Amino acid sequence: MNFENRIENFAITILNHRIKVVFSAIILIMLISSGIRFLETPSGYRGFVQDDFKYYQDILELEEKYGNIDVLTYVIKPDKGDIFQKDVLKLINELTEASWQTPYSSRVSSITNHQFTEVNGDDISIDNFIINFDELTEENLSNLRELAKKEDSIVNFVMSESTNVGLININLEMPEDIAFKKPIDFAWNQKMIFEKKYPDIFVGVAGSAQFSHNFQSVAEADASKMYPGFLLLIIILTYLLLRSVMSSLIALLVIIFSILPSLGSAGWFGFEAQPPLIAAPIIILTISLAHAIHMLSIALTNMNEGMSKNDAIIDSLKINFTPIFLTSFTTGVGIAGLNFGDIPAYSEMANTVAVGAAFGFILSVTLLPALFSLLPIKSNYKESTMLFFLKKLASLIYKFKERFVIITSLICIYVFSLLPNLYFDDYFGSYFDRVPEWVEVKDIVDPEFGSSFFTFADIETNEPNGITNPEYLNKLDEFENWLVQQESVADVSTVSDVVKNLHKNMNGGLEEYYKIPDNKALIAQYFLMYEFSVPYGMDLKNQMTADKSSSRMLIRTNYSTAIETVAFNKEVNSWIENNLKPFKTKGVAGIPIMMPHLFTENTNGLLLGLLFSFSFIILVVGLSLRSLRYGIISVIPNVVPFILGFGILTLFTDMVTASHQVAVLISIGLVVDATIHFLSKYQKAISMKLEADEAIQYCFKYVGYPIIIASICLFSGFIFLTQSLFFNNFVIGGMCAIIIIIALLIDLLLLPALLLIFGKKA
Amino acid sequence: MKKIILVLIILISTKLSIAESSEEKGYNIAKSSYESGRGFTDMISDQLMILIDPKGNQVTREISAKSLENLDPYDGDKTITYFETPKDVEGTVMLSHTHINEDDDQWLYLPALTRVKRISSSNKSGSFMGSEVAFEDFSAGDYRKYKWKYIGEEVYEGDLCYVLESYPIYENSGYTKRVGLTDKLLRARKIDFYDRKGELLKTVFFEDYNLYGDKIWMADSMKVENHQNKNATIFQWQNRKLNVGLDNKDFEKSSLMRLAD
Repeated sequence: MNFENRIENFAITILNHRIKVVFSAIILIMLISSGIRFLETPSGYRGFVQDDFKYYQDILELEEKYGNIDVLTYVIKPDKGDIFQKDVLKLINELTEASWQTPYSSRVSSITNHQFTEVNGDDISIDNFIINFDELTEENLSNLRELAKKEDSIVNFVMSESTNVGLININLEMPEDIAFKKPIDFAWNQKMIFEKKYPDIFVGVAGSAQFSHNFQSVAEADASKMYPGFLLLIIILTYLLLRSVMSSLIALLVIIFSILPSLGSAGWFGFEAQPPLIAAPIIILTISLAHAIHMLSIALTNMNEGMSKNDAIIDSLKINFTPIFLTSFTTGVGIAGLNFGDIPAYSEMANTVAVGAAFGFILSVTLLPALFSLLPIKSNYKESTMLFFLKKLASLIYKFKERFVIITSLICIYVFSLLPNLYFDDYFGSYFDRVPEWVEVKDIVDPEFGSSFFTFADIETNEPNGITNPEYLNKLDEFENWLVQQESVADVSTVSDVVKNLHKNMNGGLEEYYKIPDNKALIAQYFLMYEFSVPYGMDLKNQMTADKSSSRMLIRTNYSTAIETVAFNKEVNSWIENNLKPFKTKGVAGIPIMMPHLFTENTNGLLLGLLFSFSFIILVVGLSLRSLRYGIISVIPNVVPFILGFGILTLFTDMVTASHQVAVLISIGLVVDATIHFLSKYQKAISMKLEADEAIQYCFKYVGYPIIIASICLFSGFIFLTQSLFFNNFVIGGMCAIIIIIALLIDLLLLPALLLIFGKKA
Repeated sequence: MKKIILVLIILISTKLSIAESSEEKGYNIAKSSYESGRGFTDMISDQLMILIDPKGNQVTREISAKSLENLDPYDGDKTITYFETPKDVEGTVMLSHTHINEDDDQWLYLPALTRVKRISSSNKSGSFMGSEVAFEDFSAGDYRKYKWKYIGEEVYEGDLCYVLESYPIYENSGYTKRVGLTDKLLRARKIDFYDRKGELLKTVFFEDYNLYGDKIWMADSMKVENHQNKNATIFQWQNRKLNVGLDNKDFEKSSLMRLAD
């Protein structure tokens, strides 16, 4: 019994047990889908890295010694003037006080509660920097402005150098596995209250806590805004393409039943609902949609030509079984290449799509024919105009086949010459550039402060009380002076600043004493005094260890690209190696260091993944066509769309990010499908002893229309993905859409010409 | 004996005064508890402070202290603290004139600077030498610093205890609420502290109670567990002696000055 007969028997069995098939499919799907409730809320940037990622481990080690690094920041900017206005300071003060109520907060710092030391001989008074808000005169305000500009720990930390923007930094001590929702909700509520009370002053929410929360809020917003619209689009699209309400319903069921259990499986696997996962249902949807359209369009055509409903669907299954299987298989394998990357969120998305592709295939060959046979379906299917157009196209290609190949080759060579301009990089500062609330705050913070992120360095002495050693503090100073000269660094704060300030204040406030004293005991006693004089939440515990063997540097960093960050990190490490002895550090750590490194390493992994997916898919295509010749021919239409796609990218940017690579891995499996469909039909035509031009006509008749429809579905799916608030999803959607459209053009124009020239003749 | 009579009085008074509100009852227990610890006149002791981080690493600090009881019902005691370790701070002395609901007066003698500095700050809520103990915790039993509320009774380590809620009066306090257990001998056994956002911050356990001068129970160990940052501090009193004949002259700024000369 040959393969086609087996498929036929399989189809007949399905139709004989159609009710059982429908019910058991529905029950199984419901069971698996119930795992959706286990989908975990995204844990922000922390869920974006693997636990054992070196740069994340650095952060964890730092947190173990000095407490959690996450900061929730309020950004305060008056519409007119700087922050030294009575109302603005009052707002900052009130919001600072209210911020102690923030869930999980451990300390709050702002310009108003900054601990300021006033010296009067041997009387030292330490108090909030600004008090008696109602009695502030213009003169007081300008005095305060001048004083603030001189305080190291104010400028660039709670106030911009221009004095135009004030910040309130709230350190959060988040318990493990708790999302930032509570503190963020609290902060947004405060923002609303204070903007209402002070309508001329802008209050924004930023910091690593908001950044982290964006992952969750963006995923939620995308899911609730994108999905319903997309489903509607699909219903309209399937109806327009199939002209049958029942057929559209079947397509819709198959699509939904492919998506739900794959999300359910994601839940059973314990995946997080990170923004990349949002793309998974859309990709699954487009694949299943393409499957359904292939199956239904041929069945409907068959009915038009007089076949009975059951015979029509059996025949369609015979024609489509292998191509549908290959589509699901190549898509799954292609996207599985993402597992070579270093970002769990993308691997989880890929694996969810792979599962979805499997469901799509299984349902298209079981549930779909069963439903088709059960439901009352009439065929109004007409493809005459399209077919006429395709016939014209086929003869046109036959006539000008050499020109098609030459013109396409020339275009490819030109575009190829553009590709060397491309370079791999990433810019984590752009992740949420499509979230208006985030951008509004970012546009205020970034020009004034560089970014709202901090980087840290843990500098160790390896002996208790070692940090009171003047040699150590001078070394910190040296390191700080070197750091502030680096482009990536906006400002640095160290415990040596604290000591210098204390030394000055203990010596009558004279500027000449703003230096590190040359006496270890004196420094130790200064620290002791300082520890005694600051209130709750103002101590140095987040800057030094209890045994005073090491201290933490705080570095305000500018946004940098991955390449810049890696270079900066290298320079820091080499400075450390050459200059820091005898003291030790593991180098700088923090979100601005981790994220870029994550993408650098991810890029390397994805390149390996690309290699894997490409070679595997080409192998599969060659094997399925059982021909080396067609295998080689298939490489051209499968590779050219990517070359052209990246050529088009150079019109916008030369930076190839991880998102572009992800787009390649997603689309490779989809691009290959059309080629497989076309080539397998061509082989069949040749085996039917058709002449070359007739063979092309045959291909166009049987697969031209489905390929066009499938491509339209995929294209609109990816265009929809560009509506995502997550910048990376936007890039992936756009890139995939471009590649899919190019692939369609190549399959319709170049591939037939190639077959006419290089293919076997009857 | 005096103690027992006191307890009896309280027991009887609580039984008699049914009309007493829970605020009054709480206040009365707190007041009696505070007063049962008074009458030491003056005191000297050595103290050991052990800081423990979440990984279990320990750091020990040694200090010794003198204190003088203030009989003025509207003012606090006077204390002098001598810092002995780490070696670099050896010889540093702090004099405090504590006040009930205002900032304390503090003078600090730094030997490396050979000068006395007067420090004024609202630091009562701040950490004591980087520990989990705040300045205000040392006078945790002073009934005048809080508003009180009697909640009920609860068995703790085999002893029936009063459950008292208290709310700080000092405006710069680091706390919003405390829930404490005071046993029938009027000894504070355990207090839960709630931070400014009303969340459980830390628990202080008073242990190792010894009877001094045959009349005053004093805890010679205080263990603090911070529930938020998972750090702990153990405070131990050694060589505690009461009524050794100190007077006001020993607690004046000039006594620090003498060290400075």
